Amino acid sequence: MGLQMLVNAILLGGLYALMGIGFSLQWGISGIINLSYGAMVMLGSYISLEIFNFFQIDPFISMIMSGAILFVIGAIIYRGLLQPFLKGGIVFTLILTYATRLIIENIILKVWSADYRTIRLSYVGSNFQFGNAYVPLIKFLAFLLAGVLVYLTYLFMMKTKTGKGIQAVALDKEGAQAVGIDVEKMYMINFAVGTALAGITGSLWATIYSFSPHLIGVIVGKVFIIAILGGLGNIWGAAAGGLLLGFAEVAGASFIGSEWQEAIGMVIMVSVLLWRPYGLMGKKFFA
Amino acid sequence: MLNKKVNIFLLFIAIALFVFLPRFLTGYWVRVLTTIFMYAVISQGMNLMSGYMGYLPFGNAMFFGIGAYVTAIGMSKGLPFVLVIPLAAMTAILFSILLGTPVLRLRGHYFAIATIGMSGALLSVVQNATEITGGAMGTTLPIIDKAPGVVYNYFYLAMLGLMVTTTLSIHFLVKSKFGFGIRSIKANEEAADSMGINTTFHKVTAWAISAFFTSIAGGLYAYWMSFIGPDEVFDVMIAVNTIVIMLIGGAGSILGPIIGAFIIELFAEVAWSAFLEYHLAVLGIMIVAIVIFVPKGVISAITDVLKRKKISVRKKVTL
Amino acid sequence: MGENNTILKIESLSKHFGALKAVDNVSFEVKRGEIVGLIGPNGAGKTTVTNLVNGAYLKTTGKVFFKGSDVTNLKPFQIARMGLTRTYQVVKPLVGMTVEENVLVGSLFGRGNRDSKMVNATRRAGEILKLVGLDKKKDFLVSDITLPDLKKMEFARVLAMEPEVVFLDEVMAGLNPTEVEEASKLVKKVRIEKELSIVYIEHIMKAVMGISDRIVVLHHGKKIVEGLPQKVVNDPAVIEAYLGKRYVKGMKEVNNEG
Repeated sequence: MGLQMLVNAILLGGLYALMGIGFSLQWGISGIINLSYGAMVMLGSYISLEIFNFFQIDPFISMIMSGAILFVIGAIIYRGLLQPFLKGGIVFTLILTYATRLIIENIILKVWSADYRTIRLSYVGSNFQFGNAYVPLIKFLAFLLAGVLVYLTYLFMMKTKTGKGIQAVALDKEGAQAVGIDVEKMYMINFAVGTALAGITGSLWATIYSFSPHLIGVIVGKVFIIAILGGLGNIWGAAAGGLLLGFAEVAGASFIGSEWQEAIGMVIMVSVLLWRPYGLMGKKFFA
Repeated sequence: MLNKKVNIFLLFIAIALFVFLPRFLTGYWVRVLTTIFMYAVISQGMNLMSGYMGYLPFGNAMFFGIGAYVTAIGMSKGLPFVLVIPLAAMTAILFSILLGTPVLRLRGHYFAIATIGMSGALLSVVQNATEITGGAMGTTLPIIDKAPGVVYNYFYLAMLGLMVTTTLSIHFLVKSKFGFGIRSIKANEEAADSMGINTTFHKVTAWAISAFFTSIAGGLYAYWMSFIGPDEVFDVMIAVNTIVIMLIGGAGSILGPIIGAFIIELFAEVAWSAFLEYHLAVLGIMIVAIVIFVPKGVISAITDVLKRKKISVRKKVTL
Repeated sequence: MGENNTILKIESLSKHFGALKAVDNVSFEVKRGEIVGLIGPNGAGKTTVTNLVNGAYLKTTGKVFFKGSDVTNLKPFQIARMGLTRTYQVVKPLVGMTVEENVLVGSLFGRGNRDSKMVNATRRAGEILKLVGLDKKKDFLVSDITLPDLKKMEFARVLAMEPEVVFLDEVMAGLNPTEVEEASKLVKKVRIEKELSIVYIEHIMKAVMGISDRIVVLHHGKKIVEGLPQKVVNDPAVIEAYLGKRYVKGMKEVNNEG
């Protein structure tokens, strides 16, 4: 039983890791607590759903499309709605991202209804053995891709010019401005990367689980925890946070019962906030 | 604002007006007004923390839920309402002190998030502690054995009384030494510290006061509805609504929450019947519109217009 | 403490930020009614010492004694209430409030155990405002007044707390020569009227010279010299700190040749 639980935890945690990074980047670097994040994840799921229904293209491939679309949406929302009101402080950004959530949620409800949807892949159900544990193939693929994407995000931030620009702005806004970096553009791209990751996570999610607008609030709750555990803006921190949450949920479900899962997550988060407000990894960015 | 005596006179007139209003309204509108008063109370609590002190308790609805559930559980054990309400209020105050003391050391961002977490955790606990709370199915309260019209009026007056009490209390609190302490925290917390203000004490006490009034509103609501469920009383939308009310009325002003509650609730009544399928999107768009057009709230917008008129009048005179 | 004339005693104060020793084993005393100049080049640690003394920063090592009591581990608000106060190099006005309200806050909360009734506190605040010359501007919002007035207001705010020791952190920064002159006069006047002890922080030698009874010089977080103004200004270590080794070497050569 132990090994199976471990496998389940890692597979779930990997997906959570990818999911949490986008939110953590938005909060830690762009300074936006994005309450519409859950809606954006779901949007990614629905985009893959439509592409699958129309073109029979696997979500593992159409996730690129989700990412691209959500990137553009994120950029537009940041530039058009959030950036002009940053000076209003946290009250404004919370309420504006919440408004965005409401609008997106309403659109999803109208177009796809509140029913749970699934994407039935032909190879669903196949799994392989790892020791005496079963590893579902789809979950494993999702996990692999999530891992690759986490690493790609890291490379983007560390090796590309834009990524380094974002880092610079995160570390020292005035300094970055002084060397000619377009600070607002960096914030915007960072935010858009966050929404893109949300969309991609949604596509991956759709390969494994069913989805509906009901999950929107639940997802926001989870990414809060992951971001705080890992320290805002910290990619590997968020990854670790995601894995940790995966463990907590799987273990919690076995030992305490699945109804208490959400409570566990919240209690963990509040405890971390009280004990180490900068996250388990402390106040660092990216590494 | 105006002369002090004029203010008191106007206040009496306004209260008298509202007390006698139900005679001229249908039961439906009496209930709408009762809801408005209730939201005004919760918003005053939110306003004290956020508008005056600069700490946004996004999860403040948890005190509404605590008030509702303590009342429900207490009455199910046979305790009378007048005894249960103080109990509910004290429970809320206890929570705010226990949770607030460690959390209010953190910066504003973290406090807001922590309260969301607490609210969510409390919701989960209530949903699962089925023996005590009735679980996700909800719980009932004793029904008052009187005609519906009488019952509506009873709760109308109770909520009105609560709203007036809350508003007056916070009004005098803000003008007191304690109020200056709170406002200094928002203005510049580090400076406040070095001026001899015990900021942690002020923050926790302010939250306790906010919890007090919010929980009583929750208790009244529970008794009024006779039936409550965890999703309903711990709903994050309560917090969102009160924040929007606070913004549109004008954060940091004493009448703001009341005016905001009127505007939002009346709009919701209209919008609900017209836009049922799109009510989420409509609310979302309305929030955006408020932020764009009246970010400082309606009261500030009106006083700004009046100030400009005063200036232009003066200009004319001097010419 | 030995002489009961010493009101503030700083003992082996240190603040390390990781490997950086912002303040390194600094000790000095302030006597009642003294003005002690605390000078040093930018980055010497003067503001850090202030933050350590008033409780804003945790101390790596060292102790602070105020009026005979150990205040090392007290919180800023407790220290302020005892009568040990400071102003800020970059002013920290209470934004959104008026000049009068800012000073009123100081009057209400400073010196915790005295009368804080609104009426009396307002009266006291009014007196202080007149003393510094801001009473005509008392209803202005702090966002609407000039920098010299902001500095005056912060000074008034601190005075309203009825302190015994005030750390004035670079009050002259940003003021033109006329304003500097005016500010110096005000500080001297207030010091006599209110029987204050002042720690006067500056990085411009000239501003400090005419006003201090004694000077303490910091450099790279350490105290390098302490003494009467004339002695300090001629001390080679001090000159080197401000102007560099080569300058001192050049001066020595000139002196030798001459």
